[in-house]
Order: sequence, then C-alpha cells, then structure tokens
Amino acid sequence: METTQMLERRSLGIAAATAALLTPRVLRAQGTTDITVHYAQPFIFKESYDAIAAEFAKREPNIRINWVTTPNYQEGMQLILRQSATGQMPDLSYQGFNRLRLFAERGIAQDVMPMLRAEGEPAAMGYSPSILALAHFGGMQAGLAYAASNPICYFNADLVRRAGGNPDAMPTDWPGTLALAARIKALGGGTEGMFYSWPGDDWMFSALLFGHGGRMLTEDERDVAFDGPEGLASLRLLDSMVKVGGMPNLTREGAQQAFAAGRLGMFFWTTAALRGTIQQVGRNFELRTTVMPVIDAQRGRLPTGGAAGMLTARDPAKREAAWKFLRFSTSTEGTTLMVRNTGYVPTNQLAIDEPRWLAEFYQQNPLFQAATRQANISIPWYAFPGANSVRVTQAMVDNQARVVEQRATPEQALADMANEVRRLLPRPRG
Amino acid sequence: MPDASLALRARSPTRRSEALGAWLLTLPAALSFALLLLLPTLAAIALAFTDYELGLIPVWIGLENFRELLADRGFRRSFFNTIIYVGLVAPLSVGLGLALALLIEAGARGRVFFRAVFFLPVVSLTVAMAAAWQYLLHPTIGPVNTLLRLIGVTGPAWLSSSDTVLISLAAIGVWENAGFNMVLFMAGLTAIPRELREAACVDGAHSGWSRFWLVTWPLLGPTTLFVVTITMIRSIRVFDTVAVLTRGGPNKASEVLLYTMYTEGFTFMRLGYSAAITLVFLVIVLALMWVQTRVLDRRVHYG
Amino acid sequence: MGDGRTLLRDLPRLALLSLLGLIILSPYIWMLSASLKPTDEIFRANLALIPERFAAVENYSRVFAQVPVGRYLLNGVIVCGGILFFQLLFAIPAGYALAKLRFPGREWVFGAVMLGLLVPPHVPALPLYAGLAALGMLNTYAALIIPSTISVFGIFLFRQFFRSLPDDLIHAARLDGMSEGAIVWRVALPNAWPAATAFAIFSVVAHWNDLFWPLIVVTGTEYATPALGVLHFHTEEAGDDFAALMAACAIMTAPLILAFLVAQRRFVEGIATTGLKG
Repeated sequence: METTQMLERRSLGIAAATAALLTPRVLRAQGTTDITVHYAQPFIFKESYDAIAAEFAKREPNIRINWVTTPNYQEGMQLILRQSATGQMPDLSYQGFNRLRLFAERGIAQDVMPMLRAEGEPAAMGYSPSILALAHFGGMQAGLAYAASNPICYFNADLVRRAGGNPDAMPTDWPGTLALAARIKALGGGTEGMFYSWPGDDWMFSALLFGHGGRMLTEDERDVAFDGPEGLASLRLLDSMVKVGGMPNLTREGAQQAFAAGRLGMFFWTTAALRGTIQQVGRNFELRTTVMPVIDAQRGRLPTGGAAGMLTARDPAKREAAWKFLRFSTSTEGTTLMVRNTGYVPTNQLAIDEPRWLAEFYQQNPLFQAATRQANISIPWYAFPGANSVRVTQAMVDNQARVVEQRATPEQALADMANEVRRLLPRPRG
Repeated sequence: MPDASLALRARSPTRRSEALGAWLLTLPAALSFALLLLLPTLAAIALAFTDYELGLIPVWIGLENFRELLADRGFRRSFFNTIIYVGLVAPLSVGLGLALALLIEAGARGRVFFRAVFFLPVVSLTVAMAAAWQYLLHPTIGPVNTLLRLIGVTGPAWLSSSDTVLISLAAIGVWENAGFNMVLFMAGLTAIPRELREAACVDGAHSGWSRFWLVTWPLLGPTTLFVVTITMIRSIRVFDTVAVLTRGGPNKASEVLLYTMYTEGFTFMRLGYSAAITLVFLVIVLALMWVQTRVLDRRVHYG
Repeated sequence: MGDGRTLLRDLPRLALLSLLGLIILSPYIWMLSASLKPTDEIFRANLALIPERFAAVENYSRVFAQVPVGRYLLNGVIVCGGILFFQLLFAIPAGYALAKLRFPGREWVFGAVMLGLLVPPHVPALPLYAGLAALGMLNTYAALIIPSTISVFGIFLFRQFFRSLPDDLIHAARLDGMSEGAIVWRVALPNAWPAATAFAIFSVVAHWNDLFWPLIVVTGTEYATPALGVLHFHTEEAGDDFAALMAACAIMTAPLILAFLVAQRRFVEGIATTGLKG
C-alpha cells in the first residue's frame, strides 16, 4: 500500500516535472516572479544566503525572494509538514539531510534530476555521485546538497603541550587519543581530557559505527544491523572514553563551554560549530583542529551533516525561479560564497578541485581544512525509514546515556537499543 | 414596609430580565469559550483515539494508544518524574513564598524594593533564564560548583546526571514560583486586620511565633488554599525549563508529562499518541484537584 | 510590634532578605554581566563579573543588526495589548454576571470556568492551528491574539472580586434605570481597578514570554514576538552566540521589568482586594 502510494506520487511528480519542462516558457519579461525560500539556523547561514542572493539578483533581476527562517532543522521540518497540509509551503526549503527522506516518502519533495540533466552532465557541473548521494532518498534526487559537515576534533594546543603531546602530530587512533586525554585530565585543577558529543541525535554514534565499517540497518531496512560486532565495538569505545579517557558526564553545550574556557582538552563535534567555537575561544588559548582518529583504515567512513535545498513549488513559474536559485546556490560560485561565510564543507566538486575558488580561503583559515581532508570517506547521514524515524534516534541517545553514566554495560545497552529500534521500524505492509 | 413591598413587586417581572441580562453579558465569553477552548479540547481528545500524524489522514484505532502508553517505559518515567517534581516544588515554593511575605511584611523598610526583587523571576523569559542557569550549574566552570570546590566539596553534574537533574529542575522551579506565591501571601497578609494581631498580643500571645500560629495562620487559610492550588497547577505544567535545559535527559531522567506530550506530538509527529497523553494528563489533574478540595477545603477556616 | 523598629533591630531581617535577594537575582546578574562581555570572556572559569574588555556596544549592536528589535518589541506590545483588551472585554461582564446575577445554569457556567482552568494551553493548540490555517489566518496578529482572548482565569478573578462589591451600589444603579450592561462598565469596573491591574500584569507577562504558540503560528520576522527574537541566537548545530543571546534576553525582558516596577503597587492592592478570603 505504501509503495504504490509512493509510486503514484513519484510518477505524479515526474509527470509534473516533464510537463513543466515541455510547456513553452511564458513570457515574464514584464513582471517579477516572487518565490519564498526557507532555511534553518539563520545564525549560521544568514550571511551565506544573503551573499548568494545578492549575486543571484545580478543574474536574475526578475526574481524576488522572500525569506522564511526557523531556528533549527527540527522546526524547519515541522514547518513544511504543517504547511503541506494547509497548502502554504515555501517554494524552496533547505532541510537537514536526514529529514529529506520523510519528504521524499510523503511526496512533498520533487525529483530534481530531470531539471539538472536538462542543463548538462551533472558531474561536469560539479555534482559528483557522492555529492548527489547526500540528497538522494526515496529512489529520487530529493534535493541538492547545499552545505556539508563532518565530525572533527577540536583541541586545546596549550593543554596538549602541557600534557606532553605534540599539537602537530596528534594521535591518529583511539587508544592513543584516550591515553592523551587521560594525561590531560591528570593535569588537575578541574581540567577534563576529552568530550565526544554523543548527546542530541544519532550522528556522532554513527561516526563510531561507520568508522568500524558497520551499518545502521540491513540492506532491505527490515531489521537492525548495528547490533553486530561493529555496534558493540562502538559502544565499548564509548565506554572506554569514560573509563580510560575520563570523559565527564556533561551536556554538549556544557562541554562546549568548558572547552571555550580552556578546561577541556579535546572536543569531538561537527565542523559546523567551528566559527562559533573560534568566537567563544577568542584569545583564551591556541585553538587547533584535526581529523577524527581512524578506526578502520579500509572500511571506516564518517557521516555527513548539513542541509540540502528541496524544491516544493507546484506553480510552473515559481518552480522554475526556485530551481534557478537552488542551482545557483549549489554551483561553484554559490558553494564558494557558502564556504566563505560559514566554514562548512563545499558541495560542488569543481569548487573543491579547482584551486581558484577556495584555495585562498583555506590558506587563510587553516582550521577549516580538517573537515575537507575527510571528504573522501564521508557518506550520507543515515535516515531511518518510516514515521518513527525521529523517535529512533532518541532511543539511541538514551541508551548511550546509560553507558556514559556507567549504569549499563555496552552489551546490555546494545541489546536494549536494538530491541527498541526494532519495535519502531515500520512493519512490512502487504 | 413600603420599601419591602416595592421591592417585592419589583422583583418578579425583573427576574426574567435579570436572567436575560446575565446571559447577554456572558455571551461573548461563552462563545469564545466554546470556540477557542471547548471545541478544540474535545477535538484534541477525540484525536487520542486515532493514529493521526501531521500530514496524513487520521484512522480510528480505539484504545490502541493507551495500550502503548501503559507499556511505554518512557511514559511511566515521565509520570513519576512529574509527581516527584510537583511534590518538591509545591511545598517548597509555597513555604518560601510565605516566609518571604512574612519577612517583608514584618517591617516597613524596603518593602517595595524587596517585593520587586523577589517577583523578578516570575517576569523573566524562560529561554533567557535557561542559558543563565545552564552556566550557573555547569559542573566544571559554573559558580555553584566553583564555590563548592572552595569548601572542598566536589559538586555533581547538576543538569546532566540522572541522580541530580530532577532536583536541579525543582530548585529552578522553586526559584520561578516563590516570588509569585510571595505576592499572593503578601496580599493575604495585608487583608488581616492589624487589630486582631494586637488583640492577640494583649491576650497573652507575646512571641511572634505564637501570634503567627494562633492568629495569622488560620486567617491565611483561604489564601494558602488558593496559593497551593495555583502552585500545583503551575508546577504540574512544567515544560519550558525541561525543553530548554535538559530535553528530558539524561535517558528520560527529567522527562515530564507535558514535555512528553510535546515531543510525541511535535517532534515525532505522532499527534494521536500525543493527544492520548494529554487525556491522561487531564484526568490526573482533575483527580488531584478533587482530592485537594476534599481534603484541604474542609480544614480551611473562612473568616 | 509595629513599624517603628529601630534600624539596628531591623538589621537581621534586612540582612536575611538581602542575602536571599542576591541568590534570587544571581541569574540576572550573570546575564547582564555576560551581555557586556565579548564571547571569549564569558566562559572563563573565574567568577569575574566586570568584563576585561567592555563589549556591550558590539553585543547589543549585533542583536540590533541581526534581529529587527524594534519590530519585535512593537509586535509584543500589539499582541499583548490586543489580548488584554479582549480578555477584559469578555471576562469582566461574565465575572459580574456570575457574581451578582441569578440565572438558570449559573452553576454550570462556573463549573465550566473551573474546568477550563485545568486545561493547559498545549491541548487545544493543534486543532486551533488547523482551524486558523483553514481560514488562511496564519502568520497574522489575529492568529496570535484570538486563541488567548478567552481567559477563564480572568473570569474567575473578576467573579471573586465582584462578590465583595456591595449590593446596595448595584440596586441603586438599577433603580436609576441603568441596564445591566451599563452597570458593569459604569459602576462595577471603576471599583474593580485594582483587580484589573493585577490581571493585566498576569496576562501581559504570560503572553510576552510565550514561546510555544508564536513558534507554531508565526514564520518570518514580520509578526514575530520578543520570545522568538531571543531564540534566533540559540541554535542546535553550531552552539549559541552567547554574548548576543544574553544581550537579546536583556533587551526583550527590560520592558516587562519596567512595566512591573511602575505598576507593582496597584498589582498587590489588586490581589488583596479580590476577596482571597473566600
């Protein structure tokens, strides 16, 4: 039942897309087209969108943009869901990657591949397969990736030196990292060695899981696959972060604040927080960044966070205008402006490969390089299927809390996690 | 005599017009009550028996949601946490409010100043205060633990440890409510005629404590009942601090009923299930009010 | 016992109150102090309240640059004022009728009022949202004001207050030929000023600080309320711009505090005279 509905909606979408492409372009030379564009987290992204919009206005003076923002991705998702029921959606919405799946399944997102192909070969324009994969859900290209992030290690170079480490040659595996953390903690005075940002959602846990070469669900998505050896190893690693590395029981904000105050040696979190961290640290100490410790050199991967633009307009004129903006925001110019204003990882391969776009930026801002060095092992953020997708991530966080508070062994927590997630997976319908 | 007959004759034809006038006066309120409160609440309750999710069509599923509620570890935890929270916040904030009111009313100096100072938490924006509390209670860099370290005590991770999170939230709850209760008590105290207190003094109740116990406390009865009722209603509705500071964590240690209702409805999009939680919440609140009116109202002395 | 205690004897009481006051005010003090510091000074592990580098200008101007503060404050005034106006309009006559007039069904109406007190605002929220959306009224002042126009607390408060109003006053007005409606607004309300002030403060504070409802009915900045303005600086993914967040908090809370300081005496009188004695 679900799949036929999906197919119906998808074919409807394709039909609409084809119809839009084939209809002769109505002359709009006289009037302007107004489109509404939505994005989340204005605090991070506002300057990037403003810069892109300014450049866009030079090329397309007849398109006017009304902006709608939500404080975070969660609110952004709710906004679209509420407004899809009442018919007032924005024409273009930048959503967190793992939320796109729900929109694809519900027929709200549209397949943008035909429009992209109409302009040429995607890879030649900088849309490499791995970049397209970031927003590929529900069997279609549900959007185009706008900004990407992956987990990195922030560290306090001063504390590392005092603990006998070398900021230019940080440990590259977890045992070494945990040992360093223990030495930093031994410096005393309320200083902690490390914090791994496990609270919030499943993203950082998936970094450990993917790092071991594991996967969340089985290929057919009917059953849990993280309860295997990779998952167990991940929870054991979390456990040893507490036992060996002395990881304190803090909230992520608390850890961030302790880090900015110079009381935390290493902080593992998304590169998206880099700009804010630079501000918070200021002149308190020497801030450095480096890649995550490698677990499995062959099979290890890292999840990608960030946002993609999703096209939702039905009206042909607005659709075309919104598509133009989406295309521009993810082009080489667009992604360059995005990187310069946010520090996220670029989402256009040409901008990454050709030095004329971003080489200077990275030279002047070496802290942002750590994330780009991990781009080749970054895979899409896993989105759970079905209606309970958000609840699933909560179940994972809760069980990790038990391990961190040392109230459950990794084995127990893993078993419970698997059971709870299993219950929340969509049951196969006939 | 002539006045009485006039009044008598005047009453019967005006009884109906009185009723009519009364209905006209209550009409706007009654209409808005029906449209904005009654109907939506009934609709929300009806949703409790469906599997409604935002963006989909609801399907009637009877008691399925309630069955899931009973089996849900998270809901049971939420239920008990709310009871514990109310059990901590209500008596402490009522007691503190009373103490503050007595202290301030005991003398004329600084009355206006202190009244403003203690009422300030009520006026504040919770999102704003949450950030402040988060810092104050920070385990390593926050002032509370820094002060404790000075006297040699290692403070716990107030907001991130399962053991202390509920107590920390309750402390913040007391902080938020004490000022409110203080003002209510102050009003109740000023309504007690000074002559009564002085008369008690003459009668031999010399110490402040016995004066309080014999005169003030009984006359404060109705006020106290009012304050306790209001505080219980306010504290059972705790939401803002949980939503901003702990998000129900760690591992549901600070999960409360209204927050569960919110996350189920607006984060997980399961509005039917969320409505079921709301229904349970309403039933509990009604039961609480019924018990309270039965038990306490009997003991109140109406002057 | 009286007010004539000497300062010396009063000191213990004042000292205790001052200590408690300091504890109660500590979040505010920290918030103000943080809003004056540059971000990197806020989370130092010392207890310094005075900033090393005075950053008030840049923090507060960052708030004004990123968020249309004037608009938000204006919206706050419009929304809270509108809500208060309609609440008084509906609650005062109803409270009077419940207190002074006899009519069939009076007990039922009062029972409904009491039940209404127990229903938290989150319950009717979603059906109300759907209804407003169907009428195409989302993201308007109407959407922000209408759901709060029914205040069962207000009806309850005014009913309590009017019960203690002398009946003779009303009989006299009736004999003068005044209709019930005129009695409400010309006789009862002028005597109800303290209660109205008390209610006004409760109402304005509650709706100025309200986050839940504006969050779901408002998109964009045109109709955003002060609480939403503060939320702008608080993000999940990249942490908060703390200094600006604290400055925004200070700006959005200030009007309320000022209003309260101005109206506080009336406020206490109002509570006292609403017949808390039962």
